[in-house]
Amino acid sequence: MVSMKRLAAVAAVSMLGLTACGGTDAGNSAVPGGGQAVPGEAKTNDVVASAPVAAAADILPGSTMEKIKQRGELIVGGSLDAPLLSQQNPVTGEVEGFDADMGKALAKYIIGEPKVKIVNSASETREALLSNGTVDVVFQTYTITPERAEQVSFAGPYYSSGLTLAVKKGTTGITRPEDLNGKTVIAGANTPAIPAIKKLAPQAKIVTFGSDPECMQALKQDRGVAYVQDETLLVANAKKDPTVQVVGTPFTADPYGIGLKHGDEQFKKFVNDWLKKMQDQGVWQKAWKNSIGTVVQGEAPTPPQIGSVPGS
Amino acid sequence: MSALLDHLPELWQGLIVTLQLTAASFAGAAVLGLVITAMRVSPVGVLRGIGTVYVETFQNLPLLVLLVLAVFGLPEIGLQADLLVTAVIVIAVYEAAYIAEALRSGVNAVSAGQGEAARALGLTFGQSLRHVVLPQALRTVIQPIGNVFIALTMNTSLAAAVGVVDLTAAANRVNLVEAQPIPIFVGAGLAYALIAACAGFVTGRLERRLAVAR
Repeated sequence: MVSMKRLAAVAAVSMLGLTACGGTDAGNSAVPGGGQAVPGEAKTNDVVASAPVAAAADILPGSTMEKIKQRGELIVGGSLDAPLLSQQNPVTGEVEGFDADMGKALAKYIIGEPKVKIVNSASETREALLSNGTVDVVFQTYTITPERAEQVSFAGPYYSSGLTLAVKKGTTGITRPEDLNGKTVIAGANTPAIPAIKKLAPQAKIVTFGSDPECMQALKQDRGVAYVQDETLLVANAKKDPTVQVVGTPFTADPYGIGLKHGDEQFKKFVNDWLKKMQDQGVWQKAWKNSIGTVVQGEAPTPPQIGSVPGS
Repeated sequence: MSALLDHLPELWQGLIVTLQLTAASFAGAAVLGLVITAMRVSPVGVLRGIGTVYVETFQNLPLLVLLVLAVFGLPEIGLQADLLVTAVIVIAVYEAAYIAEALRSGVNAVSAGQGEAARALGLTFGQSLRHVVLPQALRTVIQPIGNVFIALTMNTSLAAAVGVVDLTAAANRVNLVEAQPIPIFVGAGLAYALIAACAGFVTGRLERRLAVAR
């Protein structure tokens, strides 16, 4: 019965994806809203191994967490193609990265085991997936904004990131977003980079591509002078590709939240409590070290204060 | 609903780009499709072969693959054009295969006697195609061509994936800010449906007026 319901929900979302956004992203919309089972019995990494488990008393009767525990699986809206954050390893099938580990840790907190199913969601379907109950939570570099907070509830923020610029090596005269005025700039489709560029460099022409590799390719082919993207992703790219360099320091603060169904205050408090424990016990820091920390120098940053931004 | 109304200028701009994409690539596909059809029914074996290979190739490749190849692959061999121009050319080349198939079915519907009569009158292959066969064939395939037009309209949304800010991309961008996918995409979907309905209406009228009674 439950699986029938889920099937119907997935079908409905797939239809939405097919009719509304006929392929905005080569990687993402190949299976709009389609579920990708991740082997639950795959080896647990040390982040998940040290993650806490909720006391039985915390799983309140009739709550969302009880429902998830009974199902034995946490359904996470996430990505399979975001390096360092949530990327599926083609060899093992395991989804790896900061967001992926956080999702597994939350599953372990509720169920006792890191059993997660990732529904590959695109940024244009996240709100719908949460509100119709296809997914329990969204871990997908989901920046908390007041507009979005009217549609979904946000636990966290659990990570703070920022946009920065990448240019082809040897480019001069571009160090700040203001330098982009009058030039063509590359941004990922459906990323916060678009409104940020509009605000800081109103005379810039923005060209968008569906995925990060496409944006990088476009930068190398001179379709724009700079690529505006999350610092983490750009640093990882520049590490792999020496023809590209990151310039300046992040010029925005993007607080990532954990997307939950709108109005589920009980679950939001529960997730926030879990996040607090993750931070206090050093598991959050370990997850950062294992993923983003492999390309960003130094110690793990101080996690953002829970509930510190409008909308959280 | 206000999410939709507040952003009408951006969505309108996207709709204009979608209409440009649709009109330009349909025009290109129609011309190219006509040429391919002429090749496929021509008496020259090599031309027939080329026409067949063309149709089979482009009907069996996903449009998105072609778009990504043209936008990111061609610059690698030194061919780089404006994104909108690239998208128009790729969609035209792709849809020409479907137009050619529709037209060929129309040519097959013209009775063999018509062609034989044209030949008996001393018309060349080109003349008989132009004056006798194609005019009749075109009248037979108004509805199928209309369907290709509708499919082409929907296919233009794939250009959003390679940087063209059409209606789909504009809707995506608005949704990024407003986070209200249902009203925004329903609105964009209705705009596409309206284009399709107009095409259906026009082809329906043309069909009633021009169809050849047999």
